[in-house]
Amino acid sequence: MSESTMVRVRGLSKIYERGGEQLKVLSGLDLDLAEGTFEALMGPSGSGKSTLLNIIAGLDRPSSGTVEVKGEDISRLSESALATWRSRTLGFIFQSYNLMPVLTALENVELPLLLTKLGGAERKKRAEIALRIVGLEQRMDHYPRQLSGGQEQRVAIARAIVNDPAIIVADEPTGDLDRQSADDILTLLEKLAKDMNKTILMVTHDPVAADRATKVHRLDKGALSS
Amino acid sequence: MIPFRYNLRSILARKATTAATAFGIALVVFVLASALMLSAGIKKTLGASGRADNAIVMRTGSDAELNSSFDTTSVGLVLAAPGVKRDDKGAPIGVGEVVLVLALEKLGDPGITNVFLRGVPETALAFRPSARVVSGRAPRPGSDEVLVGKRLRGRFKGFEVGQSFELRKNRSVSVVGILEDEGSSYESEVWADVDTVRTGLGREGLVSSVRARLESPAKFDAFKASVESDKNLGFEVTRETTFLEKQSEGVSIFVTALGSVIAFFFSIGAMIGAMITMYGSIASRQREIGTLRALGFPRWQILVAFLLECSVLSLFGGALGAAAAIAMRFVSFSMINFTSWSEIVFTFEPTPAILLMSLMFALAMGVFGGLLPAIRAARVSPIQAMR
Repeated sequence: MSESTMVRVRGLSKIYERGGEQLKVLSGLDLDLAEGTFEALMGPSGSGKSTLLNIIAGLDRPSSGTVEVKGEDISRLSESALATWRSRTLGFIFQSYNLMPVLTALENVELPLLLTKLGGAERKKRAEIALRIVGLEQRMDHYPRQLSGGQEQRVAIARAIVNDPAIIVADEPTGDLDRQSADDILTLLEKLAKDMNKTILMVTHDPVAADRATKVHRLDKGALSS
Repeated sequence: MIPFRYNLRSILARKATTAATAFGIALVVFVLASALMLSAGIKKTLGASGRADNAIVMRTGSDAELNSSFDTTSVGLVLAAPGVKRDDKGAPIGVGEVVLVLALEKLGDPGITNVFLRGVPETALAFRPSARVVSGRAPRPGSDEVLVGKRLRGRFKGFEVGQSFELRKNRSVSVVGILEDEGSSYESEVWADVDTVRTGLGREGLVSSVRARLESPAKFDAFKASVESDKNLGFEVTRETTFLEKQSEGVSIFVTALGSVIAFFFSIGAMIGAMITMYGSIASRQREIGTLRALGFPRWQILVAFLLECSVLSLFGGALGAAAAIAMRFVSFSMINFTSWSEIVFTFEPTPAILLMSLMFALAMGVFGGLLPAIRAARVSPIQAMR
């Protein structure tokens, strides 16, 4: 594995069993993600992009093959070890933002830090910094319902970076946004990769969004075509 | 850990279901706490007048004063036994009393109910220092004047000071005072002159019981041995406290058992209610829970958080129920005493132990009702976050 390879996927297959029938979603797939790059994953519905993202993010397990992140094969980790690994290594950005509606922006951003040993004051400080990075320092005490879609997604990005993860996975991060808000989010993701050396893997349907990535992987019927 | 405010605010965000669930739990706790408070009230009422240095003498085999009857000449014999305390003038301290049940008309409520009538000697009030006349005055000895227990006031016709009622047809007595005795059963009795009761109701030459003040509680055994030694007299001696405990036992066990059985069946309903609420809440928060799992929160933390959520909801309901039960202290409750077959008035006695127990019961309902939904929440896959 080269110095700059953050994620190395080899021979990855995923087979689901439904009603006695085997459904092959990913078949023997290889993929490398370089450190500090913003890469996009495109493909038609049912091509397996969400499954691939879930496996790289440690949310799902491959049927065969390996997923190495910073040299560690995460497919061998136990469920609880995988949860700890996610909390330290990954930041998540979801299409529907997935903020806790009953928590303020600041409290939402603080959530991943509750799994660390940091004290309350330090957690708050870091959450404030993360919100400042996404330009929402004025909205810290707002609840998600008091924010626009673009602002909600920025809070979600702040939550994704607050624990300083190596990798950020983004599932259709601009899918629910208008063009202007989507542009802002993509600019922010570019900045995170460029200025903060984050490795970002974004699943998207939107060619305009994919164009902003440094590299685009195309998935079709469970295999990478480019 | 998942912040507690997340669960607390989630409860508050679902106002209607939270209120319905809390109400169900409040109802159970109210029933349970009320039954326990009533049981405590019964124990207090029937047991409050007991003194450790008092002995009560009745006919052998009588478990209540009402069933006991013996010759008035025996009173002197009983009080002459060793261990009986004497006053400044050397006279033994004790009272021979006759008790009967009167059937009287209730006030404002058609029907007749039994009332406990105690024929007392002149020394009855002095014998019971905690008993006092709170309105009006003490009756004159040998007269047709009576005292009415505080809790009977306003419940029967002619029970106010200055009014009169009939012991039997054409045998009227006048109420001259209201009796109070720290909430004891005497407050549910009518006290009349012992001779008035005897002549008026055909009990000439008889008493029902003798209460003797002992020199000390330790003198009881000697007193009992002496009084019971003459088998011809056929007396049974009991400590007043023991006697009163036995009097209250049946009723208080009945009330506690009835309340507990009702609360138990209600609690099953309330637990199912809490369970449905939590299942509903969790079903609508699949994505939130999945997100928490994706962020790295382990299953056990999800389980604890949702158990806590249901427990808080239950404790909230429990506190409501307990508060409503405390308000019951202002309500008095009349029922037939199984040993005297006369009406006795109880109040609900809230004690810290009862309130604590009620809250613990609510908590237990929360934990049991919330366990299965919390397990389901803990099993939500992190992939749910992506859907």
